[in-house]
Amino acid sequence: MKTVLAIVAASFAALPVQAGNVGIRVVDAGGKPVADAVVTIHPASGVPAGPIRFPWANQVIQKNIAFNPGTLIVPVGATVTFPNQDKVRHHVYSFSKAAKFEIKLFGRDESRSYTFRTPGAVALGCNIHDSMSGFIKVVDTPFAAKTNATGGTLVEGVTGGKAKLTVWHPRLRAKDNEAVFDLDVPASGEIAKRIQIVLR
Amino acid sequence: MAGGISGLRRGAERLGASLSAKMTLFYAGLFALAAALILLGAQTGISAYAERMVASEMAAGAKVFDRVTTMRYAQLGDAGRVLAADFGFREAAATGDAPTIASALDSLKGRLDLDQAFFVDIDGNLTGFAGALPAGEAETLRAALEGGADRGVLRIGDLRFNAAAAPVEAPMTIGWVVFGNALDGGEMAALSKLSAIDLAPRIVPASDLPADMALGTASEIDASGERMLVQASPIASFRSDDPQALLLEYSLTHALAQYAPMLWSLLICGIVGVMMAAAGSWLLAKRITRPIRALDAAARRVAQGDYAQVAVETRDELGTLADSFNRMVDDIGERERQITHMALHDGLTGLANRTLLREHLAMTVARPSIDRKQALFCLDLDNFKVVNDTLGHPTGDALLCEIARRLSDFAGDGFVARLGGDEFALVIDDSQRPLDRIAHELIQTVASPCIVNGHRIVPGTSVGISILGADGIDSVTLVKNADLALYRAKHDGRGGYRFFEAEMDAEAQKRRQMELDLHDAIAEGQLSLMFQPLFDLNQGRVSAFEALLRWHHPTRGLVSPVDFIPLAEDTGLIIPIGEWVIREACRVAKGWPDHVRVAVNVSPVQFRNPGLNTVILQALSETGLPPNRLELEITESLFIDNAETTLASLHSLRALGVRVALDDFGTGYSSLSYLRSFPFDKIKIDRSFIIDLLNSEGATAIIKSITTLAEALGMETTAEGVESAGQMDILREQGCSHIQGYYFSKPVTEDAVAAMLDGGAEARRAANG
Repeated sequence: MKTVLAIVAASFAALPVQAGNVGIRVVDAGGKPVADAVVTIHPASGVPAGPIRFPWANQVIQKNIAFNPGTLIVPVGATVTFPNQDKVRHHVYSFSKAAKFEIKLFGRDESRSYTFRTPGAVALGCNIHDSMSGFIKVVDTPFAAKTNATGGTLVEGVTGGKAKLTVWHPRLRAKDNEAVFDLDVPASGEIAKRIQIVLR
Repeated sequence: MAGGISGLRRGAERLGASLSAKMTLFYAGLFALAAALILLGAQTGISAYAERMVASEMAAGAKVFDRVTTMRYAQLGDAGRVLAADFGFREAAATGDAPTIASALDSLKGRLDLDQAFFVDIDGNLTGFAGALPAGEAETLRAALEGGADRGVLRIGDLRFNAAAAPVEAPMTIGWVVFGNALDGGEMAALSKLSAIDLAPRIVPASDLPADMALGTASEIDASGERMLVQASPIASFRSDDPQALLLEYSLTHALAQYAPMLWSLLICGIVGVMMAAAGSWLLAKRITRPIRALDAAARRVAQGDYAQVAVETRDELGTLADSFNRMVDDIGERERQITHMALHDGLTGLANRTLLREHLAMTVARPSIDRKQALFCLDLDNFKVVNDTLGHPTGDALLCEIARRLSDFAGDGFVARLGGDEFALVIDDSQRPLDRIAHELIQTVASPCIVNGHRIVPGTSVGISILGADGIDSVTLVKNADLALYRAKHDGRGGYRFFEAEMDAEAQKRRQMELDLHDAIAEGQLSLMFQPLFDLNQGRVSAFEALLRWHHPTRGLVSPVDFIPLAEDTGLIIPIGEWVIREACRVAKGWPDHVRVAVNVSPVQFRNPGLNTVILQALSETGLPPNRLELEITESLFIDNAETTLASLHSLRALGVRVALDDFGTGYSSLSYLRSFPFDKIKIDRSFIIDLLNSEGATAIIKSITTLAEALGMETTAEGVESAGQMDILREQGCSHIQGYYFSKPVTEDAVAAMLDGGAEARRAANG
């Protein structure tokens, strides 16, 4: 049911008047593709009004002592649920400025949620399992996507004209782990952008 | 001065040459060599050991440092990780809550006794660092931490720390906690105490080390005359761009100096040992050489005739040598006594010999006695040769021993010597009885009959006496004079004694001179032959000439054969003279008519010479004279000695055809057995019978019997010394076949013979008339 709602919302968002597609490929200093980098585009003309919806669920599942997905993009104001599908309990926390919270010990098939009201990157950890690491990128633009295993992604229907392209990655060597680039988005059609970043 | 130096040198040579010195030098040298080797070995060993020991201490020190720091890093790291894992601290770190972070670090610093505890965030901001941080250090530190540095020596400014870091994760790394302890002098001193020796550990930047220095191993360097062993070991450095090294060093010179007392005591022990070895071997050598020197000294004394004995002190080889030496000395002494005895004594009788007599005489003469006279009595045995020849040498020797015994008994305190053969000598003084009485009794003592080897023998002797001092003062003169007296005593008739008189010496001198002259006579042709005819009464002609020797001495004139023939016989000169006579007679007779023979007198001495037959044969063959024209005249005395040899010789001559006549028949023994034993061709009746012929009836009877006997035996007869017609008539009446004498003719020269033979008719007439 929720999946169906998400699909409907996405189809609405993909109906701008003048928009182009931006294909982005993120590589590191060595030219290797960087996966799970979050790309956001802020058109100079401003983001379209209205609620922002993404075609994926606002949830981070804890399964096999890991956060899944490891990186989740959510719009500002979204409430993210943290269902625990492991047999053990977890203690999810975040010391990030964007959202400092703590969901103390919750067990199997229990779900907690948290509403992210500030844009920014949130690093998730589990106080019980140090190896667990996850990120939630709270964005204030609908034009956001994360790179796949080949470092590539496609942001569709971006408002044409000048825009700021921001690449975030938890290991990106920069303040707040972000790099910002200027971008000319075509009114229609598609541009491909290769972004090289330096990782820690 | 020079003498002193050469004396020193001689002393040194003797020392160098002596066995003791050699042994001492050898063993002391050997020991010194051994001690030097030990010292060298000890020094080398100690040096190697010390080096190895220091090196191993260094290796151990480096390892200890490693261990200690590793432990320290582990502690620091653990503490850091505990803090970094703390939820509250992580929260404070993540939210940048600096006061909370600082207070937490401060509290831990006090609890864990740390010198440094601070937090470095991901952007290189430090929180809680004690002291001032030099510019730029923060970023380097951050870079190092981001590069993964988590432990090691951390250098910040001039300070060094043992530091460990732990990342703070929320869950991404948001920074690092760094804990550190200062690596100051105290810390290094504490580390140094962990080694047995002070290795003076220091930590230096690896870049400060010499480029060629090998890391991890000890190497030797020369630091201003001191041998230093240095080892640089790499240690964990916090910042990989700032490598650090642990430098350990130790002075080998100092290490070796610690062994110096040991080496010194070894050296002293070696020197003392060498001295002890020298002293010991010197004493041992002395002990060994003392008996050798004793033997040497004894050998020198033995060489000088002193039969020294060596004391046998030990039972070892030297003792055995000394024992053998003593026995050898005894044996040599005994043998020398034997040799001396043999040299001075007669082997057969044990009496003193001529040499000892000479010594005794010399000694006695040198100590003349005032109140008594000493005399030398020389004697020999009559006819001793006959005893030897007829009864054999063993009996002769036994007789000599018997005589020696008698003489020894007789002499009493006197001295008895055997001079050789049958000659003896006695030296007796006149303290008991007069010398002539002694001589008389001596003859009687020797002459008493004795039985030797079953044979009864009556020895006989004559004695010659010379008086010591009066008749000579040296042994040679005394013996010579006694011999002269003996010669005279024998000449006077056997069984008598004579004292030496000065004339005897003169006579002897004369004889000696004549002997020398006679020698020259043969060589210088002073000898000549005269010939006296033998007249054959039956045939009325000269049948032969008797060759008679004449000596015309250049100063003494004509010398009588009676004087020089006995001398020639005594000296053996009769041999060459007789040979000359035979050759000369044969040569002359060759020129005579065939019926005329030549008669030659042959002495017994000539017959004793084995060459006589050869001489006769050569004379005959050289001259070509038929053997039957040579007539040898021999006397009975020829048969007294060696009758058999003489007979054999005569028979062989006669077999050749040489005629043999018996001369001087009627004198001496005139044994008829001679006539039977040899077939003489002729008997010559001695002139003594002819002289008596006119005065004595008996003489005629004797002539008659001789001629009758000769006729019966088929021998001719010749009467010698016929001086008158009366004698000739009687002889003719009594059947004598030949005459010889002044009545018919004196001996004539060779030339006169020829004249006589030419005038043979006249001679015949004279004979017949």
